[in-house]
Amino acid sequence: MAYYLLLPVLSILVVALQTTIADIIFSGRLVIEISLIAVIYAGFRLDLFKGSILAFVFGFVFDCLVSSVIGLFTLIYLIIFVASYAVSLITDTQKLRLVALWGFVFALVEEALVILFYNLILRFDAMASIPFVFLPQAMVIGLFTPVFFYLMRRLEVYIYGKPLHRLERGGDSRISAEI
Amino acid sequence: MFIFRHYKSLVLIAVLFIIAIIMLSYNTRRLQTDSQTDGFFRKLVLEAAAPFQKLMHISSTSISESWEKYVYLVGVVEENKKLEKTVGELEAELLRYKEGHLEAQRLAKILAFKESLPYDFIAARVIAKEQAALSKIVIIDKGSFDGLRIGMPVVSSAGLVGRLIDVSWNVAKVLLIIDENSNVDVMLQRTRAQGIFSGMGYRGGALKYITKNQDVAEGDEVISSGMGGVFPKGLMIGRVSFVEKLDTELFLRIRVAPYVDFSKLEEVLVLVAEEKRRK
Repeated sequence: MAYYLLLPVLSILVVALQTTIADIIFSGRLVIEISLIAVIYAGFRLDLFKGSILAFVFGFVFDCLVSSVIGLFTLIYLIIFVASYAVSLITDTQKLRLVALWGFVFALVEEALVILFYNLILRFDAMASIPFVFLPQAMVIGLFTPVFFYLMRRLEVYIYGKPLHRLERGGDSRISAEI
Repeated sequence: MFIFRHYKSLVLIAVLFIIAIIMLSYNTRRLQTDSQTDGFFRKLVLEAAAPFQKLMHISSTSISESWEKYVYLVGVVEENKKLEKTVGELEAELLRYKEGHLEAQRLAKILAFKESLPYDFIAARVIAKEQAALSKIVIIDKGSFDGLRIGMPVVSSAGLVGRLIDVSWNVAKVLLIIDENSNVDVMLQRTRAQGIFSGMGYRGGALKYITKNQDVAEGDEVISSGMGGVFPKGLMIGRVSFVEKLDTELFLRIRVAPYVDFSKLEEVLVLVAEEKRRK
């Protein structure tokens, strides 16, 4: 229950924090989307029920605070959660190099979906932003994803006494997010 | 087997997808028609986030200032420590005075600007800057309790800043003119040629739909044209920084450097009424 109560507060904190960090490090040119990394983490490590709620809440908060089109990132985060969950069934999510690669790939997927939406629905050509905004941002996310996973692993050790090794390919020994 | 075992979760995911799609289609239509609607949950999130954003904005400013003022002093010899401490204290005091002085100057400038225009304004402070890949948004500390409504133009002493796209009770979201989703009807002050200013993120903006036979030069000033009914006529937007005439294209390729420095935006004015009320 604590998980569901803490999730909205945590998501607001994360989204507000990621903009502040981006402002300090990149002078606002790029955003370290910790919220996206958290969604990928949820896809890799949490069960379907809790993970999908996390993706929805993070997406909605991100939409409310950052996006000009409410619902866009809610939908994208859900898609990325489902995709990362599917990937976690066939990939060893303990390997940080693979985690970095998937972080980069999912960041690209997110940006491709944003471009598609802008192009098809709003009739706005966002292709020009690919080299200036999207690619650097995907690389930043790719670099930060293993750091986030490493920190979360330390947290798992702190909470559960050891990092949980998943035996499954069916999702049985996923980490419970109950605190 | 997987579907049978996880059917509850799959149903939940399907429901969440449907909610997201409904939200997206509803808000896309709202964006395209510029209609004004209230969203209770959106307001709630904005209100809940405001204290965190204020706190983080203050922290990040302090960190940046500390970085600039003190980090470079690391490595000074032991004998200077006492002197350094005194200098630090004096600098901090001076910084406070400077900050007060600069704020007074900014406010005086903004007040003079406010008085010079025949509109009614509400002054607001920027409490957060939020950005995604294509979004450039700031959050201000005034909301519907102060009389703000969606669609109101926002200006600073340097020129047009953007317009309100979400108004909560005590805070509001401003879509900056450099947001890639923002379009403003503008004209060139010198030639009166009309076009559309489209945001290009931190690269400034582009002036679109100016035909090749128009006279446009670098340095030309761009102002709002008053068309479209969102922004009043004559607000300063920027200066033409680049003009290119391509044989293959119908229109000129023009880049505009906005007058407003969006990275240093601290106080803004929200235009609440077209004409000042007679006293």
